[in-house]
Amino acid sequence: MFLKEYIKDIYNAVKSLLTGMKLTGYYFTHHKEIITEQYPENRETLNLSERFRGEVVMIHDENNEHACTGCSACELACPNGTIKIINKFEINAEGKKKKAIDTFIYHLELCTMCNLCIVACPTDTIKMAQNFEHSVYDRSLLTKKLNHSGSKIREGVE
Amino acid sequence: MGASKIIFYIISTFILGTGILAVTATKIFRAAIWLLFSLIGIAALYFWMQLEFIAAVQIIVYVGGIVVLIIFSIFLTQKSGDEMPKPLQQRKLFSLFAVFFAFAFTYLLIHQYGFYSSNPQPFELKISDIGMQMLSTTEHGFILPFEVVSMLLLAAMIGCIVIAMKAKTE
Amino acid sequence: MLSLEGITNFIDEGLNATFNPTIALLCEFAIVGICAITLFATLGLVLVLMERKVAAFMQIRLGPNRVGPMGMFQTAADTLKLVMKEGLTPDGADKFLFNLAPFIVMIAAMLLLAPIAFAKGFQIWDINIGVLYISAISSISVIGILMAGWASNNKYSLLGAMRSGAQIVSYELSAGLSIITIVVLTGSIQLSDIVASQENGWWLFKGHIPVIISFIIFIIAVTAETNRAPFDLAEAESELTAGFHTEYSGMKFALFFLAEYINIFIACAIGATLFLGGWMPFHIGSWHAFNHIMDYIPSSLWFVGKTFFLIFLMMWFRWTFPRLRVDQLLNLEWKYLLPISMFNLLLVTIVAIMGWHF
Repeated sequence: MFLKEYIKDIYNAVKSLLTGMKLTGYYFTHHKEIITEQYPENRETLNLSERFRGEVVMIHDENNEHACTGCSACELACPNGTIKIINKFEINAEGKKKKAIDTFIYHLELCTMCNLCIVACPTDTIKMAQNFEHSVYDRSLLTKKLNHSGSKIREGVE
Repeated sequence: MGASKIIFYIISTFILGTGILAVTATKIFRAAIWLLFSLIGIAALYFWMQLEFIAAVQIIVYVGGIVVLIIFSIFLTQKSGDEMPKPLQQRKLFSLFAVFFAFAFTYLLIHQYGFYSSNPQPFELKISDIGMQMLSTTEHGFILPFEVVSMLLLAAMIGCIVIAMKAKTE
Repeated sequence: MLSLEGITNFIDEGLNATFNPTIALLCEFAIVGICAITLFATLGLVLVLMERKVAAFMQIRLGPNRVGPMGMFQTAADTLKLVMKEGLTPDGADKFLFNLAPFIVMIAAMLLLAPIAFAKGFQIWDINIGVLYISAISSISVIGILMAGWASNNKYSLLGAMRSGAQIVSYELSAGLSIITIVVLTGSIQLSDIVASQENGWWLFKGHIPVIISFIIFIIAVTAETNRAPFDLAEAESELTAGFHTEYSGMKFALFFLAEYINIFIACAIGATLFLGGWMPFHIGSWHAFNHIMDYIPSSLWFVGKTFFLIFLMMWFRWTFPRLRVDQLLNLEWKYLLPISMFNLLLVTIVAIMGWHF
């Protein structure tokens, strides 16, 4: 019957609208849990999620050694030319020439944090760090050298 | 000349000026807006005469109803923003004639009416009296025109529904 | 006790004693104008801040909290920003109408302020057609919106204006019909009479079921008429990039924005006057002792409290419900609200004739 449907429609509409208003009303009156972060104040206790990507860094151990072989897989994997690896040849103890990195250049201003370089790296040398305070006054400061000065490749990494 | 008279002349100039602009505007939307101002001016004239009820009805019916409908139909036309072409010379001539004769006719009517100076005391107009008069069946009641108008509106509404109704596809 | 009526009478007598009546009247005009503009500015600041705070609380956020204590000066800073911005007029726009439109919207909002009774004996113009005047003037503001949409020379603005026009014209009907229910019960369309008729109880309680229905319809229709969510199709940010005021910037945009909030205030003030007794304190029938205690709270506080309660209700709607589609919007009006309010009007007439209200 038409009239019955009509009244049922109105009843259901009012009921569903009231359900929504009940929820927002509950949030309004129970104003304790805040889901947003008060950023500059909570800098010490910042709670970033695990998969947040801020910038690419190279892992160095306590002896200032890294695992980068200079294979430039990351450079090839990067979709927009963020990484540039400059290699040099070192002569090791046995008198053989061996490839090693001279400078690992990383353009933060081009990076889209897509994570492809991390996936491509065969030796897990680089990783995504969670630092996000990157603003500087000079653009050239965003071009970074990732391998620390004086660092060398760890023994046994080929 | 009192302040009341000055206000009357200001309002009248406003009505006539916007009326002329409505006729001479080259963009159709602007013409509608000038017409709107002219009608608001007439409402202001009613306010000046302290006939608030008629003034409010004037605004509701003309400004809120008719002009909005006109503007809507202008929106639905294609070239609402373009300048309209200049009217033909003959048309101008005949419209001038029309204006002249209408003016002469109204002037004659007003001249022959012979206004007697109305009693200066302000009259109090109660809304309930208007309602009573609308529905009274006595000699000066308006029950018949009121009902006829409502029948007309009902017919118009049914006509609208018939036009807007979708034909059943089988 | 210091009342607003006393202050106005004091000023009136003082001016009439020092000047001749014409100059005194002009002075009063000026004072009323300044008061109205000040009220508008404060209302704009307060309501925008309130809206943002309410929104934040309902979405488990904090809202503005940087400028001043608890973010109190946020809206003042925003206004300052808008004042300093350039008011652009787009190329190809109808310059005259484009610049006129915000003023028309604003003037309509200002005119609506006249018949509202803010407190006992504190009313700018107790016009004898009060309710009719309000519905007449509120139909002017749609012209400003249509004008803005057309003059911007932008298809989104035009679409927004057309939506807004269709919306306001249709929802005016059910708003008008729900106002008429109160007129039927009161037997007068003068706002002071309507307030006075609620001395032994507000109409919302005195008129029980039919008045509650018409109150709900009034709130829905008024939310639609002020173009607020869930009926904000006219300015739908996500579809029309702000609709009729897409092309406006700086102070002209601020005028539209301010007029929107003023219209909310006025709509809620009218709702409070018609259904919740305006400045009339909470009275119950013949409980004289109770009524007397309630009278100790100043009438202006009652009025502001009721109005802000309704404003809060509208904000609650806005931050709970999703936006309607155009066809849903028109369906709601023509298939649900209008038949219900017509039926309700009949019901109220029967109630009024038989004297079934309290």
